[in-house]
Amino acid sequence: MNWPLAPILLPLLTALVTLFWGRSSLPRRWFVAVSATMQLVVALHLTADTVLGRTFVLGLGAWPAQFGIVLVVDLLSAIMLSLSALITLASVLYGYAETSVRLEHPLRATLTQFLVMGINLTFCTGDLFNLFVAFEIMLIASYALLTLEADDWDIKHAFPYVAINLFGSALFISACGLAYKLFGTLNFAEISLRAALLTGDFRLHLLALVLIVVFGIKAGLFPLYYWLPNSYPTLPIPTSALFAGMLTKVGVYVLLRMFATVLPHELTFAHTLLAWLAGATMVLAVMGAISRNFIRGILSFHILSQIGFMVLAIGFFTPLSLAACVFYIVHHIVVKSSLFLIGGVALRLNGTDDLDRMGNLWKHTPWLGLLFLFQALSLAGIPPLSGFWGKYLIVVVGLQEREYWLVGASILASILTLFSMLKIWNGAFWTVSNSVPLRTGDRRWVGMTTVVAGLTVVSLVIGFGAEGVLRIAMQAAERLCDQQGYAREVLAYLGKAGGNLSP
Amino acid sequence: MQLETALLIGVMFTVATYLVLQRSFVKILFGFLILTNAANFVVLAMSGRPDGKVAPVVLDPQSPMVDPLPQALILTAIVIGFGVAAYLVFLLYRLFLDQKTTNAAELYDEKESG
Amino acid sequence: MTGPQSYIFKTVARFLFFLVNVFALYLLLRGHNFPGGGFIAGLATAISLILLSLAIGLEELHRVMRFDPVRLAAAGLTLAVVTGAAPMLFDRPFLEHFDMHFSNVPFIGGFHAGTPLVFDVGVYLVVVGVACKIIFALGKSTQRLRALVAEEEARYSSRVEQPIEEEVRTEPEPAQNPTIPDAT
Repeated sequence: MNWPLAPILLPLLTALVTLFWGRSSLPRRWFVAVSATMQLVVALHLTADTVLGRTFVLGLGAWPAQFGIVLVVDLLSAIMLSLSALITLASVLYGYAETSVRLEHPLRATLTQFLVMGINLTFCTGDLFNLFVAFEIMLIASYALLTLEADDWDIKHAFPYVAINLFGSALFISACGLAYKLFGTLNFAEISLRAALLTGDFRLHLLALVLIVVFGIKAGLFPLYYWLPNSYPTLPIPTSALFAGMLTKVGVYVLLRMFATVLPHELTFAHTLLAWLAGATMVLAVMGAISRNFIRGILSFHILSQIGFMVLAIGFFTPLSLAACVFYIVHHIVVKSSLFLIGGVALRLNGTDDLDRMGNLWKHTPWLGLLFLFQALSLAGIPPLSGFWGKYLIVVVGLQEREYWLVGASILASILTLFSMLKIWNGAFWTVSNSVPLRTGDRRWVGMTTVVAGLTVVSLVIGFGAEGVLRIAMQAAERLCDQQGYAREVLAYLGKAGGNLSP
Repeated sequence: MQLETALLIGVMFTVATYLVLQRSFVKILFGFLILTNAANFVVLAMSGRPDGKVAPVVLDPQSPMVDPLPQALILTAIVIGFGVAAYLVFLLYRLFLDQKTTNAAELYDEKESG
Repeated sequence: MTGPQSYIFKTVARFLFFLVNVFALYLLLRGHNFPGGGFIAGLATAISLILLSLAIGLEELHRVMRFDPVRLAAAGLTLAVVTGAAPMLFDRPFLEHFDMHFSNVPFIGGFHAGTPLVFDVGVYLVVVGVACKIIFALGKSTQRLRALVAEEEARYSSRVEQPIEEEVRTEPEPAQNPTIPDAT
């Protein structure tokens, strides 16, 4: 019965053991790698069970729902847990290939595990305040990772990240208070039942708008994204891949969960606002990407642009578009993390990731070039790679909804994405120049590339098996929207089915 | 009581926003501390009018008590705020040591950072 | 720096150290059903340690304490997690707590005990560890001592890392209090 707890408890215990272990050593590395693999296995097991229609519910401490915290793992949570475990494993292994045991910072493994614990708790929780706590665990770990190995230039760019997230946290607590006053409970299932009785109340719209600001900061929506493109490039490569893959997607996941499962579906104003903010994010962020001239900077802006696509799918708010959003999240997490890791290999080989001073990579390391090509074209949305299907569905829904401007914006953003990917390709891979050193003598890049190859295989499987993945995404979206079903599962577990529903 | 609380929260949010937008590190730090407390106040205010109710300590089961859940929530929020405040103090101190300035505007001077 | 050189303060601080800790223990034990609990008790103990550090100096206190506050916090967290996870062995939900009432215990009479107390002890240790670490590290860096002692440095910092206080210490500036900002 405690299965939903495993993805939270395993990282916590791993973090504690590594904290006691102290110095990094080979056995410690093995321990962390084995633990990360176990987390992946557990998450896949949960996914396999939830695909068959099960929903795991766990009431912590056996308290009744209004006072106790509920953990709920449905299909979408299980998919997100698997992705977070996959990216963590890749990031950990890449870190091992990149840094020798002697130079590894001993706290990096510990903090990464705390970060993963926070992320997983966000996916599992069924309680608004617990969501806040999960966010804070995640954020504090991310602050620490951001400044752990930072030099004096990096640390300057950590400050805006911390500042805006502190502001977001304060707003989040206020939103919790507002929700508690409105609904008299913080449990997602009970909120969804009681909110249905409040439809049309302006306070509900107010709550929705506050939540858009709070999670918009986390996800990096249009007016609130300036913290991201400067802070992510200062991270060490494996950590930045983990951040790029997971952290903003946590924001998107919570938006999905809030608008589809918790709040009533009639909040059309909030949905329209989300769609237009997403359109603005897509176009403006991709222009930011074009203006940058170093790989990690370009990729950081692309995270935001892709966030635009996912949130646009939430804004359209049809069952098909939510499925497209889930599919897009799955595709994007894998592709974006591997692009960051490829950028790291290129940085290691050329000694810089400034595109003006890079080159020769295609000539000497064609395998790396091939991996980059797959992932970059997938990001831009070239069929039959994984990025195409998500974008295709979003455009189809947009045409159905007659939102031609937003469809136009998304196509423009895709073309500009392709353009900036070609810029990286030209600058780093295609250019042949004698003045650029290529450090292939440093054999570490082989191990790093192997890790990336593993992720690329996953993303190719998503692309070529799009039909199967889409079917799962459809099921996830369907269950996500089924507020009655969600509430029934949770309340039945807590023995409160048909309990007092008045606020 | 509710009106005064609402006004107090409004004033605290205003003061916090004003301070956070200042240049001096110390003012920024105080701004964030006030911001956290203002947010905690919002949650506390949600437990309703406290008139005639006792603190949520079960001594006398007959007398009505204020809603204990918001208090439990802000206890958690205070603990988290404590940790984050400590982090912020260290971050600002480290920024001061690295950049030899306590002025946030100098920190992001384009001419220097390039 | 070794704190104020006042004999009265030193003596009183040493005495108060025990008094505050007794009070902390009282808060810890009554915590489950009354105001008090692990968090507040932990803060009280942390305050007593800070008081002691003012009396005898941070470096001396480190020699006396002989343990690393971070490890203390980690031990507390482990204790809390283990207490929370123990019911899972009996197929009960995580964090479920049990208590029982003992009556007719010799010398004490009746008392109430349960697993929440163990959990609270874990919380207490976490709070003492974290609060001490924060205050000591901040205190040391502002006094231009190294924030981590050598043993902790071996454990928590990378080999390529330079402590940031180092750089400041080698500067020829007079040791004024550097944290006063300009008033703009």
